[in-house]
Formats: sequence, structure tokens, C-alpha cells
Amino acid sequence: MAGFFFLFVKRSFSNPSRFLLFPKIPISCSSTSSLVSSSQTLARSPIGSGFNNVVGGGIGGFPRVSVPRRFSSHLAAVRDLKTADGLTVDAIAAKDWPILGESESDWRSHAAAIAQSIQLIKKRMQWRKLIVRLDQMSAVLNKPDLWDDPVSAGRISREHGELLSKMKEVNGYEQELLEHIDLIKLAREENDEELEWESMKALVNMRRTAKEKELEALLSGDNDSCSCFIEVQAGAGGTESMDWAAMVMNMYKSWAQHRGFVVTIVEEMPGEIAGIKRATIKVDGDYAFGYAKAEVGVHRLVRISPFDSGKRRHTSFAAVAVIPILGDGSTRYQIKESDLRIERFRASGAGGQHVNTTESAVRIVHIPTGICATCQNERSQHSNKASAMAVLQSRLDQLEMARQAQLNAEHTQSLTDISWGNQIRTYVLHPYRMVKDLRTNYEVSDPDSVLGGDLDGFILNFLSYLLDKDEASV
Amino acid sequence: MTLRFPFPVRSPLRPDLASSLHRRLSIPSRSSSSPTPLLSSDHRPPLFLRPPAFAASRTDLHDFRRWAESLALAAGPRLSASDGGPDAALLRRELAWLVEDATVAAASESGVGEELRLRVELEELYRLWRARIEERRPFQYIVGCEHWRDLVLVVKEGVLIPRPETEMVVDLVAEVEGFEKGLWADLGTGSGAIAVGIGRMLQEGGRVFATDLSPVALEVARLNVERYELKDKIELRRGSWFEPLRDVEGKLMGLLSNPPYIPSSHIPGLQAEVGQHEPKLALDGGEDGMDHLLHLCEGSASALKSGGFFAFETNGDEQSEFIVDLMSMKLGNFFHNIKMISDFAGIQRFVTGFRR
Repeated sequence: MAGFFFLFVKRSFSNPSRFLLFPKIPISCSSTSSLVSSSQTLARSPIGSGFNNVVGGGIGGFPRVSVPRRFSSHLAAVRDLKTADGLTVDAIAAKDWPILGESESDWRSHAAAIAQSIQLIKKRMQWRKLIVRLDQMSAVLNKPDLWDDPVSAGRISREHGELLSKMKEVNGYEQELLEHIDLIKLAREENDEELEWESMKALVNMRRTAKEKELEALLSGDNDSCSCFIEVQAGAGGTESMDWAAMVMNMYKSWAQHRGFVVTIVEEMPGEIAGIKRATIKVDGDYAFGYAKAEVGVHRLVRISPFDSGKRRHTSFAAVAVIPILGDGSTRYQIKESDLRIERFRASGAGGQHVNTTESAVRIVHIPTGICATCQNERSQHSNKASAMAVLQSRLDQLEMARQAQLNAEHTQSLTDISWGNQIRTYVLHPYRMVKDLRTNYEVSDPDSVLGGDLDGFILNFLSYLLDKDEASV
Repeated sequence: MTLRFPFPVRSPLRPDLASSLHRRLSIPSRSSSSPTPLLSSDHRPPLFLRPPAFAASRTDLHDFRRWAESLALAAGPRLSASDGGPDAALLRRELAWLVEDATVAAASESGVGEELRLRVELEELYRLWRARIEERRPFQYIVGCEHWRDLVLVVKEGVLIPRPETEMVVDLVAEVEGFEKGLWADLGTGSGAIAVGIGRMLQEGGRVFATDLSPVALEVARLNVERYELKDKIELRRGSWFEPLRDVEGKLMGLLSNPPYIPSSHIPGLQAEVGQHEPKLALDGGEDGMDHLLHLCEGSASALKSGGFFAFETNGDEQSEFIVDLMSMKLGNFFHNIKMISDFAGIQRFVTGFRR
């Protein structure tokens, strides 16, 4: 290829197997101002600092002249990243190179595996929609009257920045793959075994991280990174269903604890004999909502009832709702103090000094919408009120989100919206033992482990099913 | 007069005597199946502040919980039906909090095998829970603390356990313009709840005088003031109502009080936790319950500075109406803007107003 040059500096460091690379491999790219910068390569390159107008290392640390920064869809240009000999990620995937084990030293196998992952990641992120959205946002940001509404301008520019960095990360990853392919080819031409080995090792590492990135890409929804509330409500059928609702709630508590989330019980209405009529827990931690949203719907149990002296088979239902807890910055619904009615829950008698009780439950009713929230599990009324307010805020946010757009509707249904026909999973304890997700057909033959909180298989399967079925997105 | 109650297990000793007695006796560590009254553990810090010097296996703790739960389930319906005491659900929640206070960190149910560190001996947990159910000893005395607003206040026998309703007094104060820099008085401070709640919001120049007649109350209030590092904001003074405040007469920006307001005739019928365990001094308001409230109303005129604010908790509706009438009619020359404020149960619980 014309104009192809290569700079290779070998130095002896404390670790002799490490050496510095300043490869400059021009990769055909239809735009002069790529948004992609391989920060790794840039960081290693002392050359970059010698140029004044450098905006990024470009491919392989190739310095680029800066252009005035404008919000436009540079990304569109970047999509067809290529290797020196014109291979794109899609082309690599299309070659159907056999994918062998990680231990095999075959760069084609590694490249094929990584390319597949990249395709999957893009599909899960709904890459095409992202590009359209990025273009739309860029158009808005380029409007001269943008800052007339500083709040919305701030929001859009923040969103734009977040989206851009998300996409740049994937592009950077794509580019890393192509770079290493180039390097391997080059090393072979030059008979440089050490270089070839280094790049091969890098490909193997990429292959390993690709699996994590695939999972991360499952959680790229708007509120996925939020903490959340999980609510469980017993279906018809009295004690039988209330017991089942308690089992479901315990399943989520253990699941969340195993995942390292912090679980707090917000509200719990116990059944008269056993179980719960309804309960709400707060699940605190990164991506709690992203995972838990997969559980929204009705869970069905088939078993020999421990409450039936006739030992008959019973079917019970429990409904699950999951509500994201939006961060302070993005709270959507403004609650007016005057719209609230705050009541002592289950108070009776004279109160005050007459009564000693540790019960200080509070119910807050939002009068205009009739939505209310209760908290009784905190140890002071003040804290119960604060918790109930947080639940109310999230419920109102959820309502507002559903009103504003249908985009999240399927995940933000409240308990009252969930129809009892919307069964998502069946747990059979008798006459055989199995848990089966009715949406994905994923099944497990050990209900005890599932009820003990081992839900990740179900959740990840559903999330990938949800995103991967959308064939049109890449 | 305690013999009139249907629960013969109560200690016949006054709490202060019991505590001094207790100081001299070390608790014999035998199983308390005998009806010997549980001596108040006055000299010891609340459960959650004790060092985790004991250990138990998860199984042992689990056994305790099962035993305690069965006791709660059996007793709950009876207690709530007899005098409005705790029901089974509430007792189970208290049990969870007892375990929370007695163990180190969250005793997550999932872990198996390892030992749990406890702040009391397992045996004592049994004794404490038995006292809760059988003697109706208030939960807050059992664990030695009450969660109130966002505070965890130390309480013990001899001091009124702060009520959830009273939390609102702090909110009422927060609405008063310029409250942060004024001189406040919490009369009959008890555990110091109101004083600490206000003290935490004060700025440079702001100060609370918290008074009480009971030395036990002042001792507990001192602990709470110290725990929240408010020694430079709250001054504790011993004495009856306005007596210890002569030097600041006419200088106070606000007067707050949750005085004893239960009519004497109601005292024998009180819920066992209150009637048999909490100090009468903090409950009994005389024949119609307003002896102390009236005293406070009359004293307010000279104690408050012009523009000063007062908020008094009352037994509710009737008493509040009476006080509002008194303050706006008979004492109308001194006060204005007199209001009744409801608690969250809809009872007109507080009377507030301003000194002209």
C-alpha cells in the first residue's frame, strides 16, 4: 500500500518483553476528522505531543489536524473502519472463519470471535437507532436558539455527550481489533515473531473482555444503571398465593444480595396466616433496574399446597413490578407539597403519650393522581415518611415516563397495570420439577436454586432475547 | 397502686431504686424461667452501642428467632386485644430490630456456618424478649434506644420514650423565621429529643436550654446531647418548668414543650407498656390533664421575648381547643396567631402561637 510506513522502537525496560510501539498505519477512512482516537496508542506515543493541532492520535497514533468542533455525525463516517487491506469488522464476521478455542494461536479465529461480539454488542445497543438519535441531537445542538431554553439545552448536550462516548468506546474497540490484525500481518511480512506474539496475546485478551462487553451492552437502556424498587403482590387465592408472593420476594432478596446490591424492605403487608399480600423492597446498586426489569410480570407456581390438608395441587400467582429510582438530577415529576396528604397508617386511639408503639407507618397520598405510598419498616416516623416519599416520587416518575413516551412502557408498568394474564414464568414443584420462562423458553430443572435467588440465567436470557430479536438494528 | 394491673410480674421497685439496687448486684446469669422481675439494666449503654463481646452460631440465633417468633405469634392477639398493645406483626418487626441491634452488621440469612458476633449473651436475648412479652417492658427500654426523626436517642427506664407525633415539633420550629440564631427552651426535655432535634439545626448564636425535674431524664439527655456533639448548643438545667430559666426571662425566641397531659383518671387504664413502665412524672397531667399546660401558657408571656414563638403538645382536640381559647381570649393581649396543628393521625395535637 502506498504511503505505508512503520515505526518500531525497541527498548530494554525493566521488563524486557515489553516494548514500545508507535505504529502508524493509515487505515482508509472516508472522513478526515475521525472521532475515534485510540487513547491507548495515543498515550504511548510521544510524537503526539510534538504537534500543536493534534486532536487525537487517529489510527495508530497518526496525528490529525484539528478541525473546528461542530456537532455533526462524524460517526457516520467512522462506521466503515478498515484494515490496511480493506477488511471491515462486518467483512471479517462474514468470512465465517472457524472459531477455535482461546488457546489456539490462530489470529483468524480470534478475530472472527471478536468481530462476532462486536456485531452482537452493536445489535444490543441498537446501533442504527443510536446513529439516528445522535444525528437528531446534533441537529438540535447546532440550532442557534438552542440556549434559549438552558434546561433542555443542558439535558440534550449531556445526553449527546453520553451517547457519543458510548459509541466511541465501541468504535475504539473495533479499531483495536483492526489494528492488531494489521500488526500481525505486518509482523509476518517482517518476520517479527515477538510482535506477532504480542498482538496475538492482545487479541486473546480482547476475546475475553468481549464477553463482558456483550453483557454490558444488554444494559444500555436509559435507566438501566439506576437502583430500583421491586414490588410483589399476591394474586387471588388467599394464603396459598400470599405464601407464594413471600417466596418470590425472598427469591429477589437473595438474588439482589448475591449480586452485591443493598436490599431494604420498604413496605410489607403480611398475610393473615402466612406470606405477604404485598411488599416493596428497595434494591440499591449499579444496574439494579437494568437486571430487575426482566422480572416484570406474573409468576405462576404449581405445587402440592402445604396449606391444603387434602394435599391437592394448587396454582398460585404473584405479580412483580419494577420501578427505576431516577437520580436526583433527572427526577421528572415535580411534587407540590400542597398536593400531598400525609396520614399515620393504622393509628388508632388517643395517640401521643397514651400510646407506646414502635409502629410509625406513614401513608402519603398524592391527591391529584390518587397515587399513594406507604412505608412502615423504618424505625422512626420521620424515616418512614422519607422512604414513602421516595417511593411516591418513583411511582410518579414512572407515570410521567409512561405518559411522555411509550419507549419504556413495557418495563415500567406499575402493579396495577400488570394484567394477571401476562404470565412470564412458571415454577412447577409437582409432579415434576422445573422453572420455565414463557417468553424465552429458557428452563431450569432445579426450582430450589431459582427460588434461592439464582436468577441470572433467566434475566440474561431474557435481556438478550429482548434485544437480539430485533434483527433490523445493525 | 401498681397491684391493680393484671400483670403481677412488674418490678415493685421504683425505677431509680431498682437501678441503684442493680448497680450493687451483678445480674445472676441463670435462666429466668422464675418470675423474678428483670432488673433494669440502667448502668449499661444501649444494646447497639455495646461492644460485640459475645458470639453465637447462626443456628443458635435462628433458634432464638423461632422461639421468639412463636412467643410473639401466641401473645400478639392477646396483647392488642387487651389494651391496644402490640400485635403479632409489630412484635415480629420489633424482634427483627432487636436482632439488628444485638448483632454486628446485617446478619444476612444467606451465609451459613460462621459465627455471629453479639453485643449481649444469647441467653440474655431470651431474657430480654421474655420481658418484652411477659412483662410488657417497652421495646425501646429493651434495646435502650428510640429511633426518632433521623436520630437514635438513648432511653431507659425513668425517661419518657419520645413519641412519633412529637417529631413534628422540630418541623414547626424550622418554619419560624430566624430560628437558627435564637434562644430556645425545651421544658421537660426528658430524653432531650426536641432539644437535640432543634440543636442540630441551630447556627452561630443559637442555643437551647433543656430543663427537667428528673435527674434520670437529665442524665439521659446529657448522653444524647453528647452523642450528637451538641454540648455547645444545648444547656441542660435541672428544675421545674420556668424555674431554672430566670436568667433568660423575656429573652427567649421560643418555648417548646411536651408536658405531661394525660388526665389522672386515665392513668390506670393505660396500655401496660406505658402505665407500668414509663415514668408517671412525665405522663400525669392532673385531674383534667392540663395542670402543666396551663402553667406553661401563663409563664410564656414573661418568658418569651416580643415576637417569640411557642409550640406545645397536648392530649389532642379538646385540650388544644381549650388552650387556643385561653391564649387568644384571656391571654389575647400577649399572644396572637394562635393555631392548632394536627398530627398525621388527624388529631389536633399541637398549639402554636407568637408573643406580641
